[in-house]
Amino acid sequence: MSGILVIAEQRRGELRPVSLELVGAAQSLRRDGEQVAVAVLAQDPARFVPALSVAGVDAIVTVKVPQPEFDPDTFTAAVGALIEARHPDIVLVAHSVDSFGYVAALAAARGYGFATDIFKVERIDGELVATRGGYGQKVSVELDFPGRSTVLLALRANMYKPPDGAATPQVTAFEAPATASRATGKEFVELSAGDDVDMTAAEFILTVGRGIGEEAKVPQFRELADAVGATLGCSRPIADAGWLPKSRQVGQSGKTASACKLYIAMGVSGAIQHLAGMKHVNTIVAVNSDAEASIFTVATYGIVGDVFEIAEELRRHF
Amino acid sequence: MKILVAVKQVAALDEDFEISSDGRDVDPDFLIRDLNEWDDFSLEEAVKIKEASGEPVEVIVASVGPEEVDESLRKCLAKGADRALRVWDDAVRGSDPIAIARILAAVTKREKPDLLFAGVQSSDQAFASTGIATAGLLGWPHGAVVSTLRYTPGAKTAVFRRELEGGLLHEVEIQLPAVLTIQAGINTPRYASLRSIKQAAAKPIEVLTPADLQLANDAVGEAGSLSRVRRMYIPEKGRAQLIEGSPAEQAQKLAAIIREFKGEAA
Amino acid sequence: MSRTDAVTRILFEAFSKAEIRIFYLLGYAAIAIFFYGVYVQIRKYRRGAALRLEGSLWSRLGAMVGSVLSHRTIDRRDPAAGGAHRLIFYGFLLLFAGTSTITLEYDILQPLFGIRFWHGDFYLVFSLVLDVAGVALIGGLIFMMYRRGWMKLPKLNYARPDRVPGDVDFNRPQYRREDWAFLWTLLIIGATGYVLEAARLVWLHDRVDVWDTRWWSPVGALLAEGMRALGMGAHGGGLLRHGLWWFHGLLALVLIALIPFTKVKHIFTSAASLMVRDPLASQRLTRVPDSQEQVGVAKITDFTWKQLLNLDACTKCGRCHEACPARAVGAPLSPRDVILSLREFANATLESGVLPDAAELNVHGKGPGQVAMETLWSCRTCMACVEICPVAVEHIPIIVQLRRKLVEDGAMDPLLTKTLQTIHKTGNSFGESKRKRGSWSKGLPFKVKDARKEPVDVLWFVGDYASFDPRNQKVSQTFAGLLHDAGVDFGILYDGESNAGNDVRRVGEEGLYEVLANANVAALQSATFKTIVTTDPHSYNTIRNEYPDFGGKYEIQHYTSFVKQLFDSGKLRVTNPLKMRATFHDPCHLGRFNKGYEPPRDVLKLLGCELVEMGRSRANSFCCGAGGGRIWIPDPVGAEKPAQNRIREAAAIPGIEVYVVSCPKDLTMFEDALKTTGNEGKFVVKELIELIREAIPAALNTEVA
Repeated sequence: MSGILVIAEQRRGELRPVSLELVGAAQSLRRDGEQVAVAVLAQDPARFVPALSVAGVDAIVTVKVPQPEFDPDTFTAAVGALIEARHPDIVLVAHSVDSFGYVAALAAARGYGFATDIFKVERIDGELVATRGGYGQKVSVELDFPGRSTVLLALRANMYKPPDGAATPQVTAFEAPATASRATGKEFVELSAGDDVDMTAAEFILTVGRGIGEEAKVPQFRELADAVGATLGCSRPIADAGWLPKSRQVGQSGKTASACKLYIAMGVSGAIQHLAGMKHVNTIVAVNSDAEASIFTVATYGIVGDVFEIAEELRRHF
Repeated sequence: MKILVAVKQVAALDEDFEISSDGRDVDPDFLIRDLNEWDDFSLEEAVKIKEASGEPVEVIVASVGPEEVDESLRKCLAKGADRALRVWDDAVRGSDPIAIARILAAVTKREKPDLLFAGVQSSDQAFASTGIATAGLLGWPHGAVVSTLRYTPGAKTAVFRRELEGGLLHEVEIQLPAVLTIQAGINTPRYASLRSIKQAAAKPIEVLTPADLQLANDAVGEAGSLSRVRRMYIPEKGRAQLIEGSPAEQAQKLAAIIREFKGEAA
Repeated sequence: MSRTDAVTRILFEAFSKAEIRIFYLLGYAAIAIFFYGVYVQIRKYRRGAALRLEGSLWSRLGAMVGSVLSHRTIDRRDPAAGGAHRLIFYGFLLLFAGTSTITLEYDILQPLFGIRFWHGDFYLVFSLVLDVAGVALIGGLIFMMYRRGWMKLPKLNYARPDRVPGDVDFNRPQYRREDWAFLWTLLIIGATGYVLEAARLVWLHDRVDVWDTRWWSPVGALLAEGMRALGMGAHGGGLLRHGLWWFHGLLALVLIALIPFTKVKHIFTSAASLMVRDPLASQRLTRVPDSQEQVGVAKITDFTWKQLLNLDACTKCGRCHEACPARAVGAPLSPRDVILSLREFANATLESGVLPDAAELNVHGKGPGQVAMETLWSCRTCMACVEICPVAVEHIPIIVQLRRKLVEDGAMDPLLTKTLQTIHKTGNSFGESKRKRGSWSKGLPFKVKDARKEPVDVLWFVGDYASFDPRNQKVSQTFAGLLHDAGVDFGILYDGESNAGNDVRRVGEEGLYEVLANANVAALQSATFKTIVTTDPHSYNTIRNEYPDFGGKYEIQHYTSFVKQLFDSGKLRVTNPLKMRATFHDPCHLGRFNKGYEPPRDVLKLLGCELVEMGRSRANSFCCGAGGGRIWIPDPVGAEKPAQNRIREAAAIPGIEVYVVSCPKDLTMFEDALKTTGNEGKFVVKELIELIREAIPAALNTEVA
């Protein structure tokens, strides 16, 4: 059948936003006449149809699965069968924890072209070319898939724009093969946040550095972080001085904020040891009164200004 | 019982690195090698199970790579692994994670462990696929991103929690034998003093070729991979996009960035 | 013979034969108990590991005798205690010599050879000397009682920071009891000696040669006059003398018998400890032989016999407790209590006939006598304890040996673990690429020679912090400029240099230290140079004192003495004298460790600064807190840091303008402390190099833009 097949993601009854980003990526890839289909696997897949009816989606395939949440064996079998039935040229999934749980097994067993954590995908001279990072994101690597009729790609989140506008795609149901699952999903557990905060899990961090001047200023930024919904972090000098617990230190000798996607650094100069922990972050916003501060070379956005003024103004918005 | 731990010696880039002449990799002079950070955790988890167990547990580490990988394997032996295995020959060069998985699957068939551990991903290429691909080739049950594990040697199942986005955990019970990819932070990896690493040099490392594992040349290397490197390049190093305006205007734009981000993670 | 010629004291006068026999029996019994006690102690030491001492036994003996007789080590920082102890020591020594002299004649010379000398003038002078000795003894004892009971000295406070109330060995009342028992026993022996002397005079009042010569025993005579004035007659005197003689004698015999079982043994153990002293104990740690299975100390028997002896030498004087910077900021470490804990442990386990099982000999932990991890990791290896100990206890090698075991077991703060792994991987504690080690020199207007590639006169060993820490990189650039201006032919090793390893060794990671030392020695061996200069006191210490054990023996100076030479030879000349009020902080590894106190002070004076010393300076300098790997271990939040304590000390100097350091870690620690103690703006922290530059403004603009 060819075309592009997108596997949407849902969790606990909510469609995960990355699903629409995948549609946006499919949009950018599609050739004339190429169909984009979105499959959703759930106990009640029909409930996601409205959310998936966005511009660029030609068809929605609902797949009923017995488990309320992700199951590796079920998904491997169901998605595999779907691909066998529809023969898409390209299958797009999210580079997410659920995907980690099955897509590599599927691709390896079936021999699809396969790559993960792709942030750019395009066709060059008719060939599908996917770009990802290499060597700790310090280089970019272009991959191609010679001789593979189906290529399965896991795309990085926050890299593709979801489409604007609605659509009325054709909705069909797909019967997934009965599968004996060898794992049993149980309950979900929320991680509580004590003050023994786990920086490695934080996705949004607001960090203060020496630019805040003195210990007495810390409460202001703690309050700001709470207001914007960020985890408060700090650079090494602050932790060493004891103004914040060492558990909040971000940077080379502190915890690597590996899950961080948005990082606001206030009054952090960007000493090498600090930056070493943050290089992978998608969006870094640096606020510093020193225009020459080295953090501006790695930040996505920079604000040269007085840290306290910016903090006060920002507070007003939340 | 046996736990097989697949480890990788990763490469980090040195300062002022250069792309090699064929444009598809970094000049090896600029690569600094070390044991993959995630594998510290998966090895520690295996050794912890061994130490807490009433019945004997053998922990075997296996890796794919040339002789320099032995240094990392020795570190693993110093940290409590009983035996080490390395697979290599020139045909393996250029393997992607799936080709590596083929080798690991063959090793697993040979060793017949009850559990195969791998790290969630490697710190250099971060494909996050090798462990699960191995499970797919073996046809074994599998679970990824394990942040806590409860297993008693001899039991037929294990209970683990997968670490989802946003600090959520999902508890799962899985049948054995199984492949689990272990997340960083699951435990505190022990320190191997340099003396203990030196003394581990006395323990032998078994070296195999793909042929020893009944693997044809086209199962490994570029031929056995599901992707091919076309080009490797150094991306433009940006300077931050400066947000101009009065403090109020700057703060407003910052607030917008925050809102946009949170629209995601809600 | 004249009458006075015959004057003497008849021993055992008016004692029955039975009494004398009983006394001798008791005497032999006391001596036997004494020797048994000595045997138990020696057996204990022998249960420790073997050790061969360096140097000749005679020179050691001579040095010990010199120390003991001069009381130099007891005088330091507590001249009152030194003076009082001198009185007690010499008093007791003379009295003991006196008794021995009498015994010599009475029991040996006279019965065997018929020689007598204890009579006449000799006897009279003898009596006077001993009376004076007794006064000295009692005077000293009374002062010590006052000192201990009323002066409330902090160092005599036995509260220990490494235990909490409720722990079995938290409160140690037995120490206080023993201290007072010792003082009182000696005092009573001394006092009863005089009363006994007086009683005899009263009893023998009628014997002319005794009574007429009584003033040769002035104290006794005075007391005798008093007793007679109170109406005591010869008969009463005789009774008193007889009874008191037994009391005094028995008490003395008990004291002798109990010497090896009580604090009194310090008479021997302290002297022995002084004799086995290693003046480089902290500066030059020992290697672990490859063949040795056990790394560091796990069991009490892993300590060497010398270390077990050290444990017994301690007199609880508290000087190390007072000097320790970790203790001063409330960390759970007191060097005194590490030693006393281990001593209690050694006594409990090693003094019985049968050695307990290995499992019971483990010294790590929180049980009675054990040493906790937190205690060991609090140490800054600053050497203040070893330096001030009057009896040559060597705390640092003991602590490092214990740490070596902790490192083998991985029992460390995770940040420390990570730093050690980083150092192993990149050769520096910053995790920076080796290739960037020389990058600090890129901004200079001249090229710094690569000592790996061409010969140089001076090889500058830069060190981690001076190579990678931005603040210290500026100091390195300044120093390069100064050397350049002075026309010194110098070079650095660039990537060939690794962390010198001083602190890695003191953390206890001996394996990693060996890797670093071997790498640096190899780099140095392949370079051609005349002398090494370093801006880092830690590197200075290990290259100077420890690298020879790794095949690398070099002439090395810390920059302060090298710069002093440049001034002396006119290669550097001050053109802009600084009229600043400055104080100098002696870095531990330059000052206390290697006695480099004067060159930085000479330089400061040459620069025109007015040098005002802090209270704790030179050998008593107060550590910035970064040593012993502590710069890689987070400090407890809220607690004072040693650097803050020290900055406050400087802030108390009126009109102080600049706090001068000559160590990269000091610069980092004290600049931080300046801010966090709220003293920013009151005075500045400067590296001596920076002050030199200010006093010799760059002629060729060798400053980095």
